Amino acid sequence: MSHLSTDRLSALADESPTATELAHLASCAECARERAAFQAVVELAAADSARIGSPLTSWETLRPALVADRIIDDGSTVSPAASRNRRGSRPWLQAAAAVLLVLGGAMAGRYSIGASPLPIADSSSVAAASAPADSVPRFHSIDEARVAQLQSQALYQSATAFLAAQDTSIRAVDSPAAIRTRLAALDRATQAIGQALDDAPYDPVINGYYLSTLGQREATLRQLNMVMPASMRITSY
Amino acid sequence: MEHEPLLIRRAIAGDEGALRALWARHAPHIDMVVRRLVGGDADLAADIAQEVWIQIFRALPSYRGDSQFSTWAHRIAVNRTLNALRKTKRLANLETEVTEDSASVDPDPDRTFVAQSIEAAAAQLSPGARTVFVMHDVEGYTHEEIAEQLGITPGGSKSQLFKARGKLRKLLAHLVDVRDVELPRKEPAHVAPVY
Repeated sequence: MSHLSTDRLSALADESPTATELAHLASCAECARERAAFQAVVELAAADSARIGSPLTSWETLRPALVADRIIDDGSTVSPAASRNRRGSRPWLQAAAAVLLVLGGAMAGRYSIGASPLPIADSSSVAAASAPADSVPRFHSIDEARVAQLQSQALYQSATAFLAAQDTSIRAVDSPAAIRTRLAALDRATQAIGQALDDAPYDPVINGYYLSTLGQREATLRQLNMVMPASMRITSY
Repeated sequence: MEHEPLLIRRAIAGDEGALRALWARHAPHIDMVVRRLVGGDADLAADIAQEVWIQIFRALPSYRGDSQFSTWAHRIAVNRTLNALRKTKRLANLETEVTEDSASVDPDPDRTFVAQSIEAAAAQLSPGARTVFVMHDVEGYTHEEIAEQLGITPGGSKSQLFKARGKLRKLLAHLVDVRDVELPRKEPAHVAPVY
């Protein structure tokens, strides 16, 4: 058999030879050397894939472009999320936000008077009473539902933080010791859900719980700050 | 390190800190892909990398989490870079380039150039050959995937790859040449061709 062609030797860098080629490679030092050289090229390339170079971009140059593209809202422009909302202001999204706001308010209200935030066997739910059946949002796609879910989570966290800052009745109910206990419990919950996120990083339910727990933790931290003397302020816990 | 799904959610909401954190975490890999595909033109690579990042952040709301963020962003980087190279005519009509490469008779133009690294050697390849080589041997794409991305046939991709390896083998001879190969039996007496 004559020598293997250059293209064939190049291919054999990562392909298996035929029986005839194998027999030839076993007896021809020249072709075996060439094949080894091609294999070395492929190995060099594979090793290069793990190499990390210095970034071509810098945040200082990228940021203005992102602001101009309205991906970053620097105050002078509208964020893409807000922009999308305005362009696609669908009634169901507003309805979802409204229902959530009412639910959140109802929960906070119940909590502030010492009741359970969730009405267990209470048929006089504020949300149920104030939300006509035809205002229940209906989603037409997974995308729509996910957008609503994201917005609802953000809204819930903001509302919780606002209530923690404004609702003075909460302060009367909770002592610093009780708030500290809740904070410690929330820390344990955050840690546990964080571990769950490691197992299911893209699970929307786990992500939702994680975000809610973080929001509650932040709100509780603010609450603790309010009931403590002005000289004692906690910035982290 | 903050959980990436949470970081992505914050970035989608327009949180600059989260956007910056994602960029800082993935820029070394993403920018490296762009650099490899573009070759030696550092200015062009920087311009394309900037476009790639804008595109990644624009597309972020469509990220479903079906794959790792790094994989998803990597795909965008490759697509965007190839589009940019097409616009600059560096990757125009790749199929023609394959044919022309196959037909060209060039005894050995690389003998005077010795590359010190695979990156330096790959920069000497034609844009089409470099793209196929980088996508297959460095980034791990299959010939079918490359063919789909570049609008060529899988056979054209293979042909381009083998020629790219052939040129790299010469450019990197000082690094890849093997002095002795163990053979099970004595070397036959046929005449070796000139490679």
